Amino acid sequence: MVQTTADGMDFKERLIASVKKEVKQLMEEAVTKKYVHEDSSSVTSLCAAVEACLSQGLRRRALGLFKTSSTTALLHKIAKTCAEAEHISKLVQEIEASDPNKRSSSSSDSFNRPPMLKKSSSNSMSTSNATTSTASGSTSASVTTSVSVSASTSMSLVTMKYLWIRLALYEKRLTKIIEYLVSNAQSYYDRDALVADPDYGSILSSLLVGPCALDFTRAKTADHYWTDPHADELLQRHRISCRRSSSTCSRPAIINFKRSLNTSSDDASSCSFKSIASATVAKDYVESLHQNAKATLLYGKNNVHVQPKDVSELMPGYLSLHQHIQTLTIKWTPNQLMNGYNDAEEEDIDKEIYWAYALNINVDEIVYVHCHQSRGEDSGGTVILVGQDGVQRPPIHFPEGGHMQQFLSCLETGLLPHGQLDPPLWSQRGIGKMFLWPKSMRRRILPSVMESVDETPIDYVFRIVSKSRHEEFAATHSILDFVRSTPRRAQLSSCSTTGSSDCSNKSLSIDQYPMESPLLQQHNQNASIEMVCSTMRRQIISRAFYGWLAYCRHLSTVRTHLSGLVHGRITPEMKADEEGLTKERWELLNADGMLQDSTEFYRLIYFGGVKPELRKEVWPYLLGHYAFGTTAEERRKQDETCKHYYETTMSEWLAVDAIVQQREKEKTARAVAKLSSGSNSGNERTVRAADLDAGGELENEVFEDISDISDPGDLEFDDEQRQQQQQLQQDSASVSAAHLSVKPIPRAMKTSTDSGHVDEGLDDLDEEDEQEQEQQQQDDIKKKQPEGNQSAVTADKSVAAKSIADKEPSRSTSTTSSYETVGGAPQPGETRSPEFLSADDLQAQLPDDEEAVRPHQAAAVIITNASVDIGSCERSPKAGSQMPALSEQLEAAGSTAPNLDALQEPKSACASPASSNGGVYSSELLEQFGLNLHRIEKDVQRCDRNYWYFASENLDKLRNVISTYVWEHLDVGYMQGMCDLVAPLLVIFDDESLSYSCFCKLMERMIENFPSGGAMDMHFANMRSLIQILDSEMYDLMDSNGDYTHFYFCYRWFLLDFKRELIYDDVFATWEVIWAAKHIASGHFVLFLALALLETYRDIILSNSMDFTDVIKFFNEMAERHNAQAVLQLARSLVLQLQMIIENK
Amino acid sequence: MATRKKSLLKVIILGDSSVGKTSLMNQYVNKRFSNQYKATIGADFCTKEVVVNDRVVTMQIWDTAGQERFQSLGVAFYRGADCCVLVYDVTAPNSFKNLDSWRDEFLIQASPRDPEHFPFVVLGNKVDLDNRQVSTRRAQQWCQSKNDIPYYETSAKEGINVEMAFQTIAKNALEQEAEAELINDFPDQLRLNSENNRPSNADNCQC
Repeated sequence: MVQTTADGMDFKERLIASVKKEVKQLMEEAVTKKYVHEDSSSVTSLCAAVEACLSQGLRRRALGLFKTSSTTALLHKIAKTCAEAEHISKLVQEIEASDPNKRSSSSSDSFNRPPMLKKSSSNSMSTSNATTSTASGSTSASVTTSVSVSASTSMSLVTMKYLWIRLALYEKRLTKIIEYLVSNAQSYYDRDALVADPDYGSILSSLLVGPCALDFTRAKTADHYWTDPHADELLQRHRISCRRSSSTCSRPAIINFKRSLNTSSDDASSCSFKSIASATVAKDYVESLHQNAKATLLYGKNNVHVQPKDVSELMPGYLSLHQHIQTLTIKWTPNQLMNGYNDAEEEDIDKEIYWAYALNINVDEIVYVHCHQSRGEDSGGTVILVGQDGVQRPPIHFPEGGHMQQFLSCLETGLLPHGQLDPPLWSQRGIGKMFLWPKSMRRRILPSVMESVDETPIDYVFRIVSKSRHEEFAATHSILDFVRSTPRRAQLSSCSTTGSSDCSNKSLSIDQYPMESPLLQQHNQNASIEMVCSTMRRQIISRAFYGWLAYCRHLSTVRTHLSGLVHGRITPEMKADEEGLTKERWELLNADGMLQDSTEFYRLIYFGGVKPELRKEVWPYLLGHYAFGTTAEERRKQDETCKHYYETTMSEWLAVDAIVQQREKEKTARAVAKLSSGSNSGNERTVRAADLDAGGELENEVFEDISDISDPGDLEFDDEQRQQQQQLQQDSASVSAAHLSVKPIPRAMKTSTDSGHVDEGLDDLDEEDEQEQEQQQQDDIKKKQPEGNQSAVTADKSVAAKSIADKEPSRSTSTTSSYETVGGAPQPGETRSPEFLSADDLQAQLPDDEEAVRPHQAAAVIITNASVDIGSCERSPKAGSQMPALSEQLEAAGSTAPNLDALQEPKSACASPASSNGGVYSSELLEQFGLNLHRIEKDVQRCDRNYWYFASENLDKLRNVISTYVWEHLDVGYMQGMCDLVAPLLVIFDDESLSYSCFCKLMERMIENFPSGGAMDMHFANMRSLIQILDSEMYDLMDSNGDYTHFYFCYRWFLLDFKRELIYDDVFATWEVIWAAKHIASGHFVLFLALALLETYRDIILSNSMDFTDVIKFFNEMAERHNAQAVLQLARSLVLQLQMIIENK
Repeated sequence: MATRKKSLLKVIILGDSSVGKTSLMNQYVNKRFSNQYKATIGADFCTKEVVVNDRVVTMQIWDTAGQERFQSLGVAFYRGADCCVLVYDVTAPNSFKNLDSWRDEFLIQASPRDPEHFPFVVLGNKVDLDNRQVSTRRAQQWCQSKNDIPYYETSAKEGINVEMAFQTIAKNALEQEAEAELINDFPDQLRLNSENNRPSNADNCQC
């Protein structure tokens, strides 16, 4: 440990600090919660911190030649001389020996010691750094540990980590061991080690005195879930509990469906389910043996022997009698489970068999209690419980000392008031409850036999009678009535449980309350046995009938409510050798560039997905952008049209964007200036004056419009320009327009078209100008410098002009778009508001017959005007020097203008707000779009920045696509979530216009999910029905928790098509399956995906009986950590299941 | 009934999008700041145990989507809230202006028993940025006009005032309960702002 010497005291200080912090945390937890769970994260963190201290400066050689420098090895080493260590060392070895799994994990653990040390120490340091605060947030502790834990991928190592430290802590011997280490540090540690340090060593051991005095528990208390466990922890718990069952957790959904319909008994699967269930209830079970809120403990006795089936000898165990509200339960738990229940997690394989032996007998099901006792001596006694089905439960052997009698009297007490033992115990010759049977009591039923043979065991048979049940039974009279009266959903269960337990024993005892003679009783017994038989017969028939009826009703519910969710026709699954849409299959399908077989195409994708490299070609078909059967040429044309349309639209909103941005900037600058200078009353006055001035001067309607909407500062700015430049009013307007459109153009240039033709100088100019302009604007506002103002305008102009030039060469075919906004500006004489003309208006002005000529003229006008403009206000030499190049390029651009008319058509399809407004942007529109832009910008800036594609570049593309969409759908506006939907498309296509077109197609379905649509509620309702049909157990849980009708945890899933739940690669795979599913299996595949996600974790959700908030938290924490392929597979099988149900009329 | 006190405090964070709601929550609960938070969709929550007036309570802090369009979702989340945190961005005047509507919207949707005295706390976030546009005075004025809402200026990024603000939130939420149980309002409602908070910080210091 060389680096530790370098870090020296500082490092040790930090190690100690982290221990201190963890101790504090643990003690706080102990105080606030009154107990500390052994698996508590604070214990783990403390162990980690101690481990870090102990490993620091540990001498390798001290441990022997072959040992690694693990502290576990150190423990074993000192075990020879230190009694405490010996004890712990033995425990560790026992645990390791008892489970081969563990040894391996432990040894690998010690192998990895050096990196482990690093990890644990860095972890503890980070926590100590982070927690400058206060509140005993065990949540934060759990979070930090889970970080370190999740880093080591295998979560199951957690409990094994720091095993010996953990054990020593539980055994309260840790302090002693560390004290020993400190006093013998010279033999195991480097001289500069923390443990060897006289101060730190003793601090360390004294710090641990507190935690060593704590009692740790493994029991789960009622408020165990007080500190909502993290999703990791839940998963971990679940993994532990289902480790023994080889089945994966994704299966139960299917099983469950079968179970709920009561059709077939899939033995293997139901067994595996049972084992899972038993494991998860293991702890609960043992806890339930104690008195708790739900049940009163009436009787408890340990070391009661029972001989379970398949076991040759008697087993000791804990017998207990519990009273629930309605029922009485007798439980017997083998000692193996009682003593070692807390090892159930680790040693579940061993424990498993014992669970089969445990008894859990509902007294309602018991008709007779047989008691056997040897005569003449207190030999304990044996109780055999006989159920209504005549089956004997395993005999229960009580130890000596009247325990059997006590048990029986407790049982009798428990049965009151609704039932009783027949005959009653306490009425036995007035002796009362405390009697010794062998001496004082005679068996009433067969007294003669009992008394005549002295040596034969004494046998008693009690019957358990229940008044209430009898009445109930008599009232309901017939099972048919009874069943019919229960709610439909309860039918199955009522048939199988309530109904069956009701009949038998209760019916036997109709008139048995008065004391009867043994003979009469005998007669009654015969009669009642007959009755039992007849009820059983009836029961069996009725159960079958109602089972069938329930099944039919289920099916009809399914058909009516859910048949719309899946396609009736079941598409054959893929053959074993097929793997989705591979390159070969794609080439085959897409022979000579035409994709014809849509069914096959969808089928392959639905079942196997698309190979990543094909996605760019395939997705447009999936989204409906390309039609099937189109030729390559048609598609190319379509793309061109789309691209043109996209660019047209974009240029429209870019103009607005410019205005909005300018206003924003002015506003910001003003606010900042106001805030910073504070004393600017004079400034305000000037602004107001300028405002008035402008208002008086402006006759131009357009300009007035602008002045209305723009801020005073903005106006003032224009105003000054006008005065200084002595230009025409229109000119000044055009200047401001040009000025305003500066900002977006570099962006457009950067992204929409490649700027290969632009010469370097222009780029430089562009950047410099931007900087200059910004700076000058600041100056302008603060100091009102006329010079700066002027040159800013000049620069703006040149950039604006340049942007035209810039666009021309690269897209000779679609020049119009750039003309529409910028090109209009220099024609002040023709219209009053040329700078705000949209494409349509521009076109409208041009007489049809002149079309071939006019565009060219317009272009020419642009060039001259632009140069005039620039020339007239040319003060900045920098801008001026670029002039010739600019006009040249403009000229070149102009010559391509005649091509334009070929491209005029798409514009007619353009229904932008701008065109409908007649070319002038209302302030309302500006405001609305500005707000949207603002929001888009904010969300784009934080959209998947950790994904490589959006790390630094490409954000502009995202922004452009969304802004274009929003511009076209201004009534819808931007809504959060759109970014997430565009992003994957953009990643695949890496092309704005194609992404835009596909996004539009995608949004046709998705828009309904947003708050403006109604699809979300429909999804929730469908989810509810689906769960009801496919997983009744889950449904019951959700139903009992009330709020589940909302299903808000699915909200993000549906809104974004699971985009946030999965990592990018999985999103691609999932989306294409969703899109393909629409045509081949289900238009609502997302529902099945959601259900599959829910089912994947159903056991966790059920075993923790999570409520609404727990589920939200769980899935939020699980985001991007699902196994997408498994979920997809499960979703497909769920679709198939539903299809089968619907088909199987 | 008065003796049985709820150990769970439900706190809702509201405010315009990208004012830093998620960041504040994470800074408080996890002591972490990331500049890679995504826009919150739907809702998420974190829990944290805090000690208030010698009682340990669990704070359930709900982080919501900032776009007002998604408020229809709110009803389910707002229900049963004990305190509402209104967040704005000191560099974005609009987010400050919208505090009014956030407050109203909350009161309508959550419909607390005593809307006049329902505890709100206002946080002006992002004070670490230097392009501040909403002055402390202006924010304080607004808070005063709304029944003396406690006001803090925070930075989720730097962790400035976050701990203290949430302590106040917890305290007020708890008091709200006590008050609701006593059915009489205390004449002096606790008023804290960034100036007179400094001394109280010393009390909260835990070492």
